[in-house]
Amino acid sequence: MAIILHVDDSSFSRTQIRKILLKAGHTVLEADSGISALNLLQTQAPDLIISDILMPEMDGMEFLAVLKEQSCSIPVIMVTADIQEGTKTACLNLGAHNLLNKPPKEEELLSAIENAITQET
Amino acid sequence: MSLLSEDLQDALKEIINIGVGKAAGTMNELLGHHIILEIPQVAIIHPEKLGIETTADHHETVSLVTLEFSGQFSGITTLLFTPDSASKLVDLLVGEETAHDELDAIKTGTLTEVGNILLNAVMGSIGNILKSRISYSLPSYREGTVADILLPLVGRESAVLEVTTRFTVQERQIVGEFLLMFEVGSFERFIEALDAALNGE
Repeated sequence: MAIILHVDDSSFSRTQIRKILLKAGHTVLEADSGISALNLLQTQAPDLIISDILMPEMDGMEFLAVLKEQSCSIPVIMVTADIQEGTKTACLNLGAHNLLNKPPKEEELLSAIENAITQET
Repeated sequence: MSLLSEDLQDALKEIINIGVGKAAGTMNELLGHHIILEIPQVAIIHPEKLGIETTADHHETVSLVTLEFSGQFSGITTLLFTPDSASKLVDLLVGEETAHDELDAIKTGTLTEVGNILLNAVMGSIGNILKSRISYSLPSYREGTVADILLPLVGRESAVLEVTTRFTVQERQIVGEFLLMFEVGSFERFIEALDAALNGE
């Protein structure tokens, strides 16, 4: 099972995804913004990051850009309410492994996690 | 609506239907129950009619989630629930009985995020169909009368697209209203994009 960092300013979304991850046996770390996620990454080494896009202070795209700049090898899955096709393209171009729309289906999220972690190892 | 040609009126209604349908599909995912959706009613209203021609009575305190959007066209999109519908929706999502006047921080957060997801479903569908990239602000939750909250946010010369729909979930009827308030001049750009899509451009 994996250590997964979930970044989302919405406590509702964190609760929804936490339930799925814990049920699957994953360890969950949480951050409510890109900035607090970057701070957490200085001392924690998750196997995967799940991130929202629209967040205060630092949005998910900026967060992805910083991770890329830092040559961070942790795979990132974006989970967002934004269903626009251009958004997925933009995230993938910034290095995201995948993008799922909210609310993610349990099987879809767990499958995306497995694919991301398997491809990294 | 009569200011638009019949073809444009049909195209507008269809795009809205697709957007609201996407929102209903998303609501189905959130709630885990089948959603019965009524055909959305679409109308163009003057901002001064907010709270008069909208579903909620203009004296009634309602729950609103607003999302500013920008891009080829810009403005504010709003999802509005009466207190009764807001309570029912939160009950279904959180699984606890919620009194109308006891929306605490957790439930406010729930409505904000659900509103964000549903508004993105409607606007994202519109953006995808019109091939127009839309950017959003952070969603904002407010309670108050429609006129008090929305009128200060929109210019008196702006156009407001009012979409009223009813969802029924597990025999509980939830009435939701979407409002698309376009900044001055922006509605015309929206109609141009709609016209281009209609003509396959």
